[in-house]
Amino acid sequence: MINETNKIIDSLGGTGVLAKLLGVNLSAVSNYRKKGFPARLHYKIASLCNEKGISINEKIFGNISRISLPIDSRPIEVLSETSINIMENLVSEEFELIDPPVLVSADKVLDRLGENIADRLYIFSDPAGTRLCLRPDLTIPTCIHYLNNGFNGEKKNYAYHGKVFQFHSPTSSEPNEFSQAGLESIGGDSSLDTEIEIFYRTYNSLKKAGIKELNISMGDISLFSVLIDILDIPVIWKDQLKTKFWNDKNFKLLLDDLSIKKKFDNKLFYKISDLDQEMAEIFVRDTIGLSENQSPVGRSIKEITERLMKKSQEINTEPLSKNTSDLIRDFLSISDNPSDAIKKLKSISKNIDSKLDTKIDNVSERIDKISSLKIDLKNSIFSLEKGRTVEYYTGFLFDYNCPVLGDKANIGGGGRYDDLIKSVSSNLDVPAVGAALNLERVEKVIAMENSL
Amino acid sequence: MSSLLLALPSKGRLHEQMNKFFDSAGLKLSRSGGKRTYSGFIEGIERIEILYLSASEISNELLKGNIHMGITGIDLIEEGRTPASKKVVLLSKLGFGKANVVIAVPNSWIDVESIKDLSEVASEFRSYNNRRMRVATKFTNITRNFFSKNGISNYRLVDSAGATEGSPSAGTSEIIVDITETGQTIEANNLKILKDGTMLRSESCIFSTVDEIWDHIDLKPVEKFLRIVSARSEAMDKAELSFDYTKESSELEISLYRKFKAIFVKGTPDLGDSVSLIAPLSELTSCSLYLTKMGYGPVRTSQPNFIYNRDSISWNILRESIKRA
Repeated sequence: MINETNKIIDSLGGTGVLAKLLGVNLSAVSNYRKKGFPARLHYKIASLCNEKGISINEKIFGNISRISLPIDSRPIEVLSETSINIMENLVSEEFELIDPPVLVSADKVLDRLGENIADRLYIFSDPAGTRLCLRPDLTIPTCIHYLNNGFNGEKKNYAYHGKVFQFHSPTSSEPNEFSQAGLESIGGDSSLDTEIEIFYRTYNSLKKAGIKELNISMGDISLFSVLIDILDIPVIWKDQLKTKFWNDKNFKLLLDDLSIKKKFDNKLFYKISDLDQEMAEIFVRDTIGLSENQSPVGRSIKEITERLMKKSQEINTEPLSKNTSDLIRDFLSISDNPSDAIKKLKSISKNIDSKLDTKIDNVSERIDKISSLKIDLKNSIFSLEKGRTVEYYTGFLFDYNCPVLGDKANIGGGGRYDDLIKSVSSNLDVPAVGAALNLERVEKVIAMENSL
Repeated sequence: MSSLLLALPSKGRLHEQMNKFFDSAGLKLSRSGGKRTYSGFIEGIERIEILYLSASEISNELLKGNIHMGITGIDLIEEGRTPASKKVVLLSKLGFGKANVVIAVPNSWIDVESIKDLSEVASEFRSYNNRRMRVATKFTNITRNFFSKNGISNYRLVDSAGATEGSPSAGTSEIIVDITETGQTIEANNLKILKDGTMLRSESCIFSTVDEIWDHIDLKPVEKFLRIVSARSEAMDKAELSFDYTKESSELEISLYRKFKAIFVKGTPDLGDSVSLIAPLSELTSCSLYLTKMGYGPVRTSQPNFIYNRDSISWNILRESIKRA
């Protein structure tokens, strides 16, 4: 056994090289020579050997395809062959396998995901009275792992695997716990290439695990916000359109509402219209009846004043023009094969604003890059509405769908969420891109495709 | 045949108001084996077993399908409902325990008067503070449903067991959702109720679980009980007006209904009939004055103790819903 371990270390380039590859001290590697590799490194070393074409004696890690993912000191879970297959492709030198926390602060999760998901969470208090929940996904715990390790912007690439917990009504056939595997790239420059990398690695892992038919549906949330940004409409409408965007029904109601001339009951909206910011703040302070060193409950004088000023602007604005609301509707209705969707986007948006053109070129470049990876986009869809129902992504996003599953064809997906770290840490502005796969569904697809 | 389980509030004001209601309906509650036990029966009505529980336990037991009927608040039933709950139907409102579940914001939020304002503020709040606006409440389900219907998404609920109205000034939440009879406590805490911020009008009601637990229940005593209860509750906020129909008017019937929701007991009267009219108690004076102004009188008024309709709505609801179950 020890002889085998030494052979592996030597074949991989010796103590120093391996220490560097693994990101550990030299003394740690010397220890491995004496005691064998610790279980948590089996995967990494196996994949290193694989990359360098070193054949390893099955005995060294037991039978690698039978071994489960070593996760710290917790009891070893037994993984299916498919999961192992997926993990072998996700975990690499660039993507470090981590074990994010299972218990996370319920407040952080709710602050991130919103109350709409609250009835899907397992929330409870620990004996110290802290409100916790079982992780509903692995993305938030991965961010917490990043922050807990003291990073505040450095690029870290992670791979993970584990159970997640989401309550479903007892009559539903959806399981309340299932396994996810995925990747996150947090921090750094987080470019378009990062998005492609995350996409390609997860796509590849699915293909290598044996999935035959895989349709991709894509979108980019930032297209909508750029469009709204360049429109010549009051700021308060822009905020409202961006907020209501996440709920189609409310969004439509808002568009209708903005299209008619409104009456405002609150007289303050009129009274404040001639004042500058400073005078307005004094006016607000007086109206509330606060002395100079008092502040209002819950919101600052600044917040209240700025909203009143925005409302007073709104009073003097003509209703949303039909042209503009049609533009928004047409824009959002685009859903087509990626290259056709880009053509439509270009024709609708041409000559409105160069910022939008640049954005569309960006999206177009991304799709070209994906196609150049020999990924078949024939049955894929690019939709401007993609991601609207989950208030989560901030840019590129994608789903993997397997037709063999019928209605619930989604087996995973991901995208960019640049505000995620900020909402978990409350001050850090760090970009992030990631993707997660539902392993039970992946297995089901493989089983179903094989039985066809 | 087994007994029906009827749960009644065991303590507090609700218990007293419920006792008063049963007294006024002529239903005598007896405790089995002494005053301090938590079970009993209604004298003269067989096979209804009474359990005394707290209002929130009653709501839970109904939603779990463990008891047939119970008296509790609409707020507790709505709050307790989950996807796994049994269907619970309202049989009769009882006219007491009235209170509203409302949204209240700090008085200093002079730019916020309506839910629409609040919805805008909620999203701005998130960009100013990098966290969601906190709503303190013990009505988490009701709030979630109401907010989602009204397109408010940028908020977070903070559980509040008691003294909810104090949490904005204590800094544990920005706004509250709370239940109130008069709004006084809310005002006293420098909060204001949004003009369209009444999320739920609650009162004490008789509810029943629609479930197979009704399978072997003798329905005769239940029918009797429900007819008495609904006749009493129907009469509680009603007045009876009688006068002689001395002058023919084709408009009278329709305008009495339109103006006062007053209904002729025997339908359209003939000239010379002595007519009787049922009107909401709150309209008694204005309705009487209107009649005298129209040239009728004297108008005699009284308050009925019971109004027994041929079809008891409560009984019909129960019968129909257990048939379907």
